[in-house]
This record gives sequence, C-alpha cells and structure tokens, in this order.
Amino acid sequence: MSEAHQEGLQYFSQFGVDERLLREAIACALERGGSWADLFFEHGTSQSISLQDGAVNAASSGVSLGVGVRVVSGVQTGYAYSEDLSREAVLNAARSAALIAEGAPQAQAPLGFNATPHASRYPIEQPWMSVGVEQKIPLLQRLNSEAFDADPRIKKVTVGMSHSDSVIWLVESNGATHFDRQPMTRLSMQLSAEQGEGPNKRRESNAANYAARGGFELVTDERLTALREKAVRRTLFLFDAEIAPLAGEYPVVLGAGASAILLHEAIGHGMEADFNRKDISIYSERVNKRIAPKGVTIIDDGTREGDRGAINFDDEGVDSQRTVLVEDGILRSYMHDRISATHYGVAPTGNGRRESFRHAPVPRMRNTYMTAGEHDPEDIIRSVKRGVYAESFTNGQVMIGAGDFTFYIKTGYLIEDGKLTRPIKDTNIIGNGPEVLERTDMVGHDFKFDDGGWVCGKDGQSVPVSLGMPTVRVSSVTIGGVSQGGEQ
Amino acid sequence: MSELLDQARRVAERAQALGAQEAKVSLSRSRGVSVEWRDGAIERLQDHTDQGLSVSLFVDGRFSRHGTSDMRPEAVERFLSDAITMTRYLEADECRSLPAPERYAGRAEVDLDLRDPNYEQVSAEQRRAEVTEVEAIAREALSEELKGKEAEVSSVSSVVGDYFGQSARVHTNGFEGAREGTSFYMTAGVTLKEANGKRPLGSAFTYRRHRSDLRSVEEIAREAVRDVTEKLNAQKLASGRYTVLVKSDTVGRLLSYLLAPLSGGALQQKRSLFEDKLNTKIVSELLTLRDNPHRPRGFSSALWDGDGFATAPRPIIEKGVLKTFLIGDYHAKKMSLESGSPVWATGASLHNMEIELGELSFDGLVREAGDGVMIDRFLGGNSNPSTGELSLGCGGRLIKNGQLTDAVTEFNLSGRFDELWSQLVMVGGDPYPEGQPTPSCLFEGVQLSGV
Repeated sequence: MSEAHQEGLQYFSQFGVDERLLREAIACALERGGSWADLFFEHGTSQSISLQDGAVNAASSGVSLGVGVRVVSGVQTGYAYSEDLSREAVLNAARSAALIAEGAPQAQAPLGFNATPHASRYPIEQPWMSVGVEQKIPLLQRLNSEAFDADPRIKKVTVGMSHSDSVIWLVESNGATHFDRQPMTRLSMQLSAEQGEGPNKRRESNAANYAARGGFELVTDERLTALREKAVRRTLFLFDAEIAPLAGEYPVVLGAGASAILLHEAIGHGMEADFNRKDISIYSERVNKRIAPKGVTIIDDGTREGDRGAINFDDEGVDSQRTVLVEDGILRSYMHDRISATHYGVAPTGNGRRESFRHAPVPRMRNTYMTAGEHDPEDIIRSVKRGVYAESFTNGQVMIGAGDFTFYIKTGYLIEDGKLTRPIKDTNIIGNGPEVLERTDMVGHDFKFDDGGWVCGKDGQSVPVSLGMPTVRVSSVTIGGVSQGGEQ
Repeated sequence: MSELLDQARRVAERAQALGAQEAKVSLSRSRGVSVEWRDGAIERLQDHTDQGLSVSLFVDGRFSRHGTSDMRPEAVERFLSDAITMTRYLEADECRSLPAPERYAGRAEVDLDLRDPNYEQVSAEQRRAEVTEVEAIAREALSEELKGKEAEVSSVSSVVGDYFGQSARVHTNGFEGAREGTSFYMTAGVTLKEANGKRPLGSAFTYRRHRSDLRSVEEIAREAVRDVTEKLNAQKLASGRYTVLVKSDTVGRLLSYLLAPLSGGALQQKRSLFEDKLNTKIVSELLTLRDNPHRPRGFSSALWDGDGFATAPRPIIEKGVLKTFLIGDYHAKKMSLESGSPVWATGASLHNMEIELGELSFDGLVREAGDGVMIDRFLGGNSNPSTGELSLGCGGRLIKNGQLTDAVTEFNLSGRFDELWSQLVMVGGDPYPEGQPTPSCLFEGVQLSGV
C-alpha cells in the first residue's frame, strides 16, 4: 500500500471508512455487471466573514461530507450518493448505482489499492484554518475605510472574505486511488454610491472580486488594494455611463482579460465532448475542420498553478493537462471525460469535473483562454469606425445546439472614429458562437488572465473556472443597446 | 417528523448550553430518484439521500450562520462549539436577534397538501416506462412534423424523477415547525439538425407536488416537438421598436427584475430604484400581482417564512401601485435604527406569484398584437436594480397580421424594466400550467436590437 493511499485512508478513517468498506462497496457497485465503478469521498470545509455598514458582524461556516458512487456500463451511468458514511448507507448507495447494469458481474473488487501520484499545483503556505477571525477583521475594516475615503459618493460598502478546503479521495474499481486537497480563497467588495440631490439623485452599485486556489497567503496588501481600486472605479464609472446607444450589429472590441467570457460561452461549452457525443452541439462533427481564422488559438488548461480552475487531477483521477481546443483556427480536440474519450477512442483530457460528491462528473472547462496574437491593442481600437469596447462583464449563457450565446457588458465604451468616447454600461451582447469565431479578425499581443471568481454552471452543477484573452476585434455582433429607431 | 423536530430541539438546547443566547436550528432529510433516457437507452440513473443541519447563532450580540452534513453526534457537538467560538470574535450587531415571538403567531390552519400519499408506490419500472414512452411519442410526432422540412433528428431525451423531503425548524424563543413534501417531474428534450449544422433544442416539462397532477406523457412529448419545430430556420430580426408578446412561461423572468429592488437588502443597501415608491404607481395599472403562500400543492407554499413569521396572502402590486416591500426582520431592524423611526418587517419571502388574469387566450393575444414579435425564451442578460436598466437576449417568432410566422433569434430586448412594465397593454388569460402561473403579457413600443 503506498503512502498516498495511506494518506487518503487515514484521513477518511476519522469518518469510519476502512479498506473493507472500500472493497465491499466496489463489489456491490459491480454486482450487476457494470464495467467499472468509482467511489468519490469528499470532506469540504468553508468559512466566510463579511463586513456591512462598518462592522464585520456576520460569518458563516460549512461542512460537507459524503460519498458518491458511480457505476459505468458503456456510456450509461448509475450514480448514487450518501451524506452518511456508515457501512449500511454506503453499500446502499453502491447497490442503487449498480442498477444501471443488468447481468452477471463483469469485474471484481480489487485485492489491493495503490495511490496514483499527481502534480501539486496549489501548495498551501498558510492554511486558512490557522488564521483566526480576529486577524481577518482588520483587513476588511481597512478596505471599508479606504472605500469611503476614496470618494464621498460611496454610501454603502460590503466586503467579504471566504475560504474553503475540499479534501477529495477517489477510489477506482481497479484499485487506483487519488487524494487531493483543493483550497480556494475569495475576496469580494460591493459598493453603492449616490450622486446629485432631489429629483436628480442617481444611484449606482457595482462589485469586484478575486479568487484563486490557495490559502491565506493570497490575502496580500496588494490584492486588497487592487480589489478596492477596481470596485470604486467600476462603481463611479457608472454615473458617467449609459446603456449603449447602439442597437444592432456593430464591431465589438473585447478588452484583454475578462472578455474571455466570450470563449467560455460562445465556444467552450460547445466543445465539451458529452454534447458532441450526443450530437447536440453545434461543433459536432467539426474536429480537424476550420472554425476560426488563422491566428486564433484556444486552450483549456488545468495546469496553471494556483488559478481558480486549476486541478491536479480531474474528478475521475485523470491527470490535468493543457488541452489545445483550437489551433490556428482548426478545431483539434473536445474536452473529454472518460466516457466520451472511450466513445471517441481518444485519451481523456482531464476535464471530468463535478461540483461535489452529490454529482456525477461530466466534461467541464478549467482555465480557458485565447493565446496572444500580433496586433497592437491601440490599432485594434483605431480600426473601428463605430462600435463598442467591452471591459467588464457579468453573466453569460449559451444554447449549445443552436450556438446562440450572450454576455452582459457591465462597463465599456463607445468607439467612434477609432477612439474610446462615451462610457457605456448594462448592455447585453448576443451572437452565434461559430459566426463570432469566424468574425474574430484581429487578436492583440496583450494577453491577460482574469483573476475574478468565475463560476460555470452546467447540468445543475457549479464549478470554479478561470479565463483570459488578449484584446480581440469581432467584426460584427448584435449589441443590445437603445437606439432611436422607429416603430416596426 | 416528530423525530426530526426532537433532534432540532436537542441541537438548539446544546447550542445554548455551549454559550449561545439564542439559536435558530433547521434539520432536513430527503431522498430523490431520477432516470435520464436518451436515444433508446438509459443515460443515467440517480439516487440520493440527503441530510443537513443549519444553525444560526446569536452569541453575546454577535451573529453567524453554519451548515453541515456530518450528523455524527460527536461531530455536531464539535461543529457547534467551533461555531460559537468563531462567533465571539465578530463585531457586535444590535440588530441581530431572533424575531419577537409574537410575530410567529397567527399561523394559518390550512392543509397545503404538499405530500403525495402514494409517493412510495412509484416503481423503477414506471419511471422507465415513461421515459421510454416520451421518446416513442416524440419520434412518431417528428416523423410527421419533419416531412418536407430540411431537418433531421439529432437526439431525443427524457427525464422522470421524484423527490421526498422533510424539514424541521426550532427557534429558541418559541418558534417550532415541521413540514414535508413530495415532487414529481418529467421532461422531454428534442434536438434537430438543420442543414446549416445548427441543432436547435425544443423542450417541455411538467413538475408537480402530486404525481397524479403531472401532465400526460403525450402532452409533454408533443410540446417538446412543437417547441423545436417552431425554432427551425430562425432568422435575425431587424432592430427597432416593436409590439412584443412575452409568452406565459417566460414572463416570470421579467417579473423577477421588478421584484428584486423590493427586498429589504436592496433597500437598506441603497440598491433599489423603488426606495420612495411605496403606494405609488410604478408600472401599468394592468398589472396586479399577489403572493399566495397557501395555494394547495404549490411549490413555494408555506405556513411560515424564513423568519418564522406566519404567512398570509398579500398584494404586492395592485393596478400598478406598489403595495409592499419585502422586508425581513433583520433589515427592518437595521432600517429602523438608521432612520430613527420604526420600519415594519413585512416578510422577505415570496411564495406563489399570482397575476390577475385577463380574458384573451394566447392566440387571442397574438391576434391582438397584429404585427410584432412573440418572445418565448430569454437567453442571458441582466438588469441594474439601482437604475432599472435591462438588457436581455431573446428568441421567438414574428407576428404578422395576427398570426405567428417565422422563427427569430439572436436579438436583445433593452430599456428599463419599470418602463417596460409601464408599456404593458394586455394581460392574457393563459396561466402557465407549471410553477408560477404567469400569463402571457403584451407590451408596446419595446426596443429590440437585431440587425
């Protein structure tokens, strides 16, 4: 038995898990003929504190403990979970998951278990549990004071700091085990501001956040200052901004960094292999075909150390990797879990992820980005006669099959005669993924990764992701602004 | 149920014994089963049992909230102890306390009928038979619908599932409550492949507290087929101002933007454009919106809310006039402190929204629209609750001469949500049969941006 296997066993033995239970659970899972099975044990702990109206007067903590049992038969999945780790409950879950198959056992429980070694991409220097709440409170108070000092129009400040730590232990029916501790730190600041008096009084609110895998060492003075500056700037910006005075198809320049929500929504989801296996993605049957102009390369990379979407291995035990999705405009690979990889006869790409033990893994993005191109960002803006420059965003969404996607510009600028002019806000963009990719005609050399707390939703599951891109021009996309157009 | 309530009482007592002056304890457990079917085979079987404990603690004028699924007695004891220790480090908040016990009084004596007594009789064979039948009916309907059309079937899927949950809540100053409920659902999804490679998805679902109330397999399968075939060959829309008919199942999204600025949190944090608008007209007089927490078999029906306040039906907007904010106990105390005058906690929870219906059917509204756009889905987008600005992605169909015609997609609806609801010219008599029974609504002069 390897040391790492011992680590997992030792950790979960505090909840009554032993090797006998593992063997019995796997035997139950495979008793009706499943091809293979896995047990996903998870013990998650979290803590958050928040400041509102000048006081750090609310906190929360959470403990999430349980096991998910998956049985796979071809492309069919039986899944059951239990929040009770007693022998009876775990075996019941295994028997429920086993019902996906019908027949005599095809595989047997392993005689022994061996840990699979994996990289360490988020070493924790200072565990959040080792830092008392009393040490965190002054940091939030500092941000609060600085925000009010920054501008008299700031009227309300909310600051949050949250940490989580998820200990996962995956036990496969072939005896391979995988142990990991996945940390996350998140900082957030929300501001409300007022300008003017009486009937001219205006209100605006906006927010900024930061998130990455790591412990309390990520809470540095520089990050706190950057967060406050970003939140103040984005909030006060809105007083000068208006919903875009454009309604219809115009060029859009996507600023470096957070604009990669375009990649995530318009392109990323459609390249998750389960949608293609089921023939319900617009990118089905497009591998090795041109889907974007030359110069467009898109990566999904779970190996970037400390990034919010980084993982040492995916939730099926497959090593994380840097997966080239689009290479110089050619679709090279989907993002695979084990089931889709088997279906396509390729190696899994380490994209099988799940929100928690309560969910079966499915292909998901990690850190998705477009690599830098050759254009000067200033030249890209100068190239637009009339259009929009998009800077910060809130939510996005996509229809996988039709390819239609949207994302919401929270702050940006109008571009007139090659210059950034009027500030804009609260404007939705809608387009079709493949069409927008084809219209991506200028890629800047200013690649930037965004460190915001992005969350991706799919199949009722949320997972942390991150994204990045350089400044990019899309020659035409539909802008949901307001025009003075006539009645139809 | 009584066992769950007893357990909640014991946790509350332990919290007090360990140092909390007051505590709010909730315990829950549930079981759910689902079968997902796709293209002739089961895709996934799921079975789960959940348990959870959540505790709100009030310790020396300080407050915190905690949750765990680790229910081992020694783990719960440690969980409570750690939580209380952590709470002591926080700063005091004089507004954090349990509601006054008199606010718990007046609980309605209504049978909400949330539990199907036949829940346990649903068999794996029944679920499997239904998902199979959805596909068979859908494919049969598609063979007719797709004649002469340049589209083929990519995939047909269906999910059938059921759920049973119980919960109990105890406040240390006298509130106690326990409830249980069941839910059943069936979905159908049909994806077609068009000649241009696009794969539009049509879907339908039914979701009820009692299994016998579910719409039929046939109805769900045929609705999904109709939904997808109506999306074929979608065109882009010319930008402009249109008469817009928002279909019943889509109206809820527009309502949610209108309701968000009414919350105590939005008001107290100055993120509401409706701050000074109580008892004033904020939208068209055609909109009357009530909350009915006592609707039998309603998905959001409840006899008490998150604070433990007894619930009662109440108007939210009457003939366009805002009748109440949605203020919970904590924010009422905060606003009272800040303003120096008492603010009444009206109750933060919304349960079952009911819009006063008009007379016209959906087809009647289409005829009334004459020329315009029917929106049957929103995609992404967002709003600004401080200012009312709104921008949403949309899809739907054109209306020409009182008839639905071509599918349209990739356009945005933009403006302000308070102004949009002021542009309401007709409310339908066609409440959506699932979830919130919102009717279709007709608006005039709505900004849509396409090409």
